[in-house]
Amino acid sequence: MKNLDSVFAAYIIGWGVFFLFYLSIAKRTSDLRAEIERLKNSLPRSS
Amino acid sequence: MNLLSDTATLLGKELRTEFRSRELLTTTVVFILVVLILFSFAISPTAEESREFGPGLLWLAILFAASLMLQPCFLREQMNDTLSSLRLAVSDPFAIFLAKLIANTLFLLLTEVLMLPLFAVFYNVPILPQLHYLLLVLFLGSLGISIVGTALSAISAQARMRELLLPLLLLPLLTPILVVSATVSASLLDREPVVLWKGIGFLVVFDLVFLTALWLFGEYLLEE
Amino acid sequence: MTKRIILGAVAIVLVIAAAYASFYIAPEERTMGVIQRIFYFHVGSAWAGMDAFLVCFIANLLYVWKRAAKYDWLGVSAAEVGLVFTTVVLITGPIWAKPVWGIWWTWDARLTSTFVLWLLYVSYLLLRTLIEEQDRRALLSSVFGIFAFLDVPLVFGAIRWWRTQHPSPVIMGGPGSGLEPTMRKVFFFSVLAMHFLMAFLIVERYALEKMKYEVDVLKREAEPQ
Repeated sequence: MKNLDSVFAAYIIGWGVFFLFYLSIAKRTSDLRAEIERLKNSLPRSS
Repeated sequence: MNLLSDTATLLGKELRTEFRSRELLTTTVVFILVVLILFSFAISPTAEESREFGPGLLWLAILFAASLMLQPCFLREQMNDTLSSLRLAVSDPFAIFLAKLIANTLFLLLTEVLMLPLFAVFYNVPILPQLHYLLLVLFLGSLGISIVGTALSAISAQARMRELLLPLLLLPLLTPILVVSATVSASLLDREPVVLWKGIGFLVVFDLVFLTALWLFGEYLLEE
Repeated sequence: MTKRIILGAVAIVLVIAAAYASFYIAPEERTMGVIQRIFYFHVGSAWAGMDAFLVCFIANLLYVWKRAAKYDWLGVSAAEVGLVFTTVVLITGPIWAKPVWGIWWTWDARLTSTFVLWLLYVSYLLLRTLIEEQDRRALLSSVFGIFAFLDVPLVFGAIRWWRTQHPSPVIMGGPGSGLEPTMRKVFFFSVLAMHFLMAFLIVERYALEKMKYEVDVLKREAEPQ
């Protein structure tokens, strides 16, 4: 069972990579959503 | 056929431009030489190792040299703003690519042929017995490099950091050429030379695939 | 929006189920032992990554043909997701190799080809950052993407042939190693789970790209006339 550590490491690192990628998308998405709100609110004033 | 005559005319122009100055030719030859010498400093090969690694290193040097030599290909047109007049002068934009890639292939072949005697001496390889097959591999490999390189040169000319971008785009795409050409060349220069026809067939396939791709999609690279 | 959440939930459930199957349902392999269980995750990721690049290829073709921005959004999303899966393949490969061969990297045909694949799509993404104008960036990167994908079988073929000339340790079993029936079922279930994960990540990334475009549009509207 000595290699079980390596198997766990592989799965956890792999999932980690996917999770980090998803996190970065989610963060950028929420930042952009906030920016869209801000821009939409600033529009009626200028027109 | 219009395509052929356009290509012939443009090819003449390409060759005249290159050979008027000849600086690119000499610089490329010297560059490959320098790279080959640096390789031997880096790995300090024995006579047997030289013979074993020589062909691979030669192709690596050719690839590096090509990725530098292909820079001016479309950059020249962009800097002189001749691209739009070129497109108007031909009926099929593929003629522009065809002319350039033929010129680039001839150019690469010429530098390789000039290099061969020196390579044979420095790396202790007998090039004469299998010279005809060696030239075939050099031709097919250089053709592949030129087809892909000409296309990528058109792309990188329109981007920033183009000096670094062209090698960056080119080298991964050309891995098959490097791997196969080096292996076939090494086998030809071995103690008991063998012609690896599968490898040569592969190079033909590579060249056909990318020539077709360039024919289908090249015109989009020239859009304003 | 709800469809996306459902897709995500399904993906996560499948991935966890596949991991469970890999550990508890699949039998232990005779020669390699427990380390072989990485196979389900490693190869599942490889196939999903490759299909992501296939999606990118199709998106590139569609963009060149139709010139609709949404195909460019799909292209970059699929390429990034494909790159993430390929990265996982390149990480789990050495983790598998070290206990089995004692070395991290063996220049095994498939792993080497995967590395070149990784470089190709890194180049694709780098190219995009170096072209500022939207339409030109989409067009040029689409053509490069097409070239890159056409290169993929050539890369794998060339390196496999090269390896027959100069053999090296092979990470996964050679071509002869078949999969026992239960293993095969677990494997294909793993592949399915990875594909759902791939689809979910592409959808999310695409939504982000579409939003970026909307921000640009709004910014241009907000500029003083």
